[in-house]
Amino acid sequence: MGLLYDLSTKYKTLSIVGMAKNAGKTTALNYLIEEADDEGIRLGITSTGRDGETSDLVTGTEKPRVYLYEDTIVSVPAQLYDLADAGLEIMEMTNMNTAIGELMLCRVCDSGYVQIAGPVATADNKKMCSKMFEMGCELILIDGAIDRKSIASPDTSDAIILSTGAVISRTMKKVVEETTHIVNLYRLPEFETGRERETIEKHCGEGRIMLIDKNGKLTKLGLKTGLGASRFIDDAIDEDTRYVYIPGAFTNSVIADIQRDKLKQVHFILKDPTRIFISAMDWRQLIKKGFTVSVLKNIEIAAVTVNPFAPSGYSFEHEVLRDTMQEALPDIPVIDVRL
Amino acid sequence: MKQGTNRRLANVKTRTETGLEYVMQNLDLNTPFGRKLLKESKPFYPGQEEELRLELDKVEGMMSFVRSGEKQVSKMQETFMMMKDLSFTLERSHKDALSVVELFEMKSLLLQMKTLDKICAEHAVPEEFVLDDVEGLLDCLDPRHDRLNTFYIYDDFSVKLADLRKKKHEYEISIRRAQKARKEEIRKEYGIMLTPKFDVIISRTSEDLEKARQISDLEQVSEDYMSVTFELGKSPEIYGFVKDMENVNGEIEEEELIVRQQLSDRVAEYDQMIRSNCDRIGALDLALAKAIYGIRHDCVKPEIIEEHIVEIVEGRHLQVEDILHSKKKEYCPISITLKDGVTCITGANMGGKTISLKLAGLVPMLAQYGFFVPCKKARIGLSNYMQILIGDSQSVERGLSSFGSEMEELKEILDNSQERSIILIDEIASGTNPVEGLALTKSLIDYLKGRNYISLITTHFEAVTEENDIVNMQVRGLAGADFRKLDSELHIANRKERINIISRYMDYRLYTVTENREIPKDALNIAKMLGLNDEIIEGAKKYIK
Repeated sequence: MGLLYDLSTKYKTLSIVGMAKNAGKTTALNYLIEEADDEGIRLGITSTGRDGETSDLVTGTEKPRVYLYEDTIVSVPAQLYDLADAGLEIMEMTNMNTAIGELMLCRVCDSGYVQIAGPVATADNKKMCSKMFEMGCELILIDGAIDRKSIASPDTSDAIILSTGAVISRTMKKVVEETTHIVNLYRLPEFETGRERETIEKHCGEGRIMLIDKNGKLTKLGLKTGLGASRFIDDAIDEDTRYVYIPGAFTNSVIADIQRDKLKQVHFILKDPTRIFISAMDWRQLIKKGFTVSVLKNIEIAAVTVNPFAPSGYSFEHEVLRDTMQEALPDIPVIDVRL
Repeated sequence: MKQGTNRRLANVKTRTETGLEYVMQNLDLNTPFGRKLLKESKPFYPGQEEELRLELDKVEGMMSFVRSGEKQVSKMQETFMMMKDLSFTLERSHKDALSVVELFEMKSLLLQMKTLDKICAEHAVPEEFVLDDVEGLLDCLDPRHDRLNTFYIYDDFSVKLADLRKKKHEYEISIRRAQKARKEEIRKEYGIMLTPKFDVIISRTSEDLEKARQISDLEQVSEDYMSVTFELGKSPEIYGFVKDMENVNGEIEEEELIVRQQLSDRVAEYDQMIRSNCDRIGALDLALAKAIYGIRHDCVKPEIIEEHIVEIVEGRHLQVEDILHSKKKEYCPISITLKDGVTCITGANMGGKTISLKLAGLVPMLAQYGFFVPCKKARIGLSNYMQILIGDSQSVERGLSSFGSEMEELKEILDNSQERSIILIDEIASGTNPVEGLALTKSLIDYLKGRNYISLITTHFEAVTEENDIVNMQVRGLAGADFRKLDSELHIANRKERINIISRYMDYRLYTVTENREIPKDALNIAKMLGLNDEIIEGAKKYIK
């Protein structure tokens, strides 16, 4: 049995997320659909919104158009129904609206190409998935955000499949490095359960920076975001402070002015890994300085797909890219979707 | 014009200020048809008393229907919520072939009608709401008779379509089989493995490259400095299949269009029936909503009489009541009887005069629109015209002073009033000097006295009430209150609580003044209770002396 079968025993919903545009997300999706067909897994296909991709709709080039087999359940907006090449039986109107009409859940009666679209809101996405399971889907593939920065939150799916490729950089070393960096960030440890986690979870809805000292005493800072606030954070950390929770984006400016000994003394906690915007090199330096961090919710990575072609014309040797990536990420399956 | 189709009982402001719009917005309507019907609903006018009585009887019937079958009613409403207005689709069915999505929506609506029909049969609804049978059309749209809420141009619609699709499938399989066979040959002969998509990427450094170049039907589709991509070319045999399949595809599309056209024609045949069903659903939706509103708000059937009288026994203003209930407070019901001529309401500030005025508009208005009324008992004679004159924020937005807009509206009222009107005026001319204001008010009352209007005026001008042929009603106010207790409570209260305390001691009920026509002077008392400086209060008292 193949990779997808293994994944389908572990996860019920998989988002496919690209490291950048043209990282081969759609190719990866098509590849997975082929695999599912070979293995007789009943798929559900949806996407996290089509906003921002409308130009693809107009020109008809390079859009998430996927070849679907019979009995797959797919979400299609009303206005794209007639454009589908596959035969689609309408199962339900969902009352969820997109710019291109109300979303419908359809069953593929006759295999062919379909343009997919899905709800934009996370809550709608969850509702859509549960409806698909009701209709008998065994695994749902979500055509996820176009680049990793726009992932809404980790709770849209059980795990993600990360699409990366030559488009990231002209040097293969850099592609592997960047990808590993993201994978490592996504898999940051979750903050262990205990008194401190409970405290943070109780208050994290307020969106404040919070400090907890060794006795479990909580201090909230008046600042809404950590951006440019590292001086204030530095001020607030005293010798008893043990944990610092940062609600918003986590960038260099959040941490730049924090003194080295204080950096070592406290443990940082973030909401989820998508909030981190620090480059691989800076990250390594921070770790060296003794910086430690965990998240309330991390993101599981089910597989990494690589695409050795970049749209600007250069490419890498297939096997080499795949093998190098696999070496760097020994415990995650790496697939070249073009082989 | 007044009697024509544009005839209206009251303008938007009057409907809003009296609270009629509030009641209508709060009806629990669940279908687009019901909402449309409510928007178009017309009041009953003098001369239509009998029709209105019949309508109210129906509401009464509906209320007992709702009471006896709450479960069925909520099931009906659930079905209502799913319904869509498809009148545009129905229109299109006469001209064009409907799209698959439209046909799906039509089938859904028909299925919902069937569901509703079944619920209605279980719980005998009045004859007028029973739907026509749409089974015939449903059979057309559901060739398998499984009555599932799904739609597709199924093979069952046309034998030809089924055959064509089968043929297409066979071609697909033939193509795939031929390609797979060739893939296997290449693997055996050259050891090159093609992907399931029948292409292969070969590195320039690989020995396979030369071999691949020798295979005649392996076409090179792209190359760069690293690798070359090949794709399995199509043999003449495969091209033959592809061409045939494309032809079949064209035929399938044509046949699907024919099927859609046939189905659309059938939909068009049922157009009138579907529309009249939708109207009935709308009527049922509205009737249920009215009944439910009546039950929830403890409303009674108004007695409709020929005389032009408005008699309200323990009436409640629904909008104010809702606000009070949300604050966990009780509403103090008001009784009032009005007939042609002028009635004045006088009394303490904060005594609810304006709300009583609005209530006197709301109750007859609701009755004329065929609603039950929030009273213990009500007798209503129908009116031709109603208007309320009341200060609002809009006049400021329009750049008019409060006096200016008041006069403008007064003119509108006097221009539009006719036999059997209800005119409600809230403290007119309070925004100008008391000498002219009083004169204006008196003259207006003289004018109204001689006409067959029910005029209700709230005022602080004492002199107005002195004349004998007008009825003077007064708010009981704080007259019966225990002032000592009130004072001690106010003493310890903070500013916010004071208003609540005063309103608790306030008796909002009205009584008709027969002898002593003096207006109670409560303004200073209340100002004092609200904590205004003693200096000002004492100063004012000096001036009264």
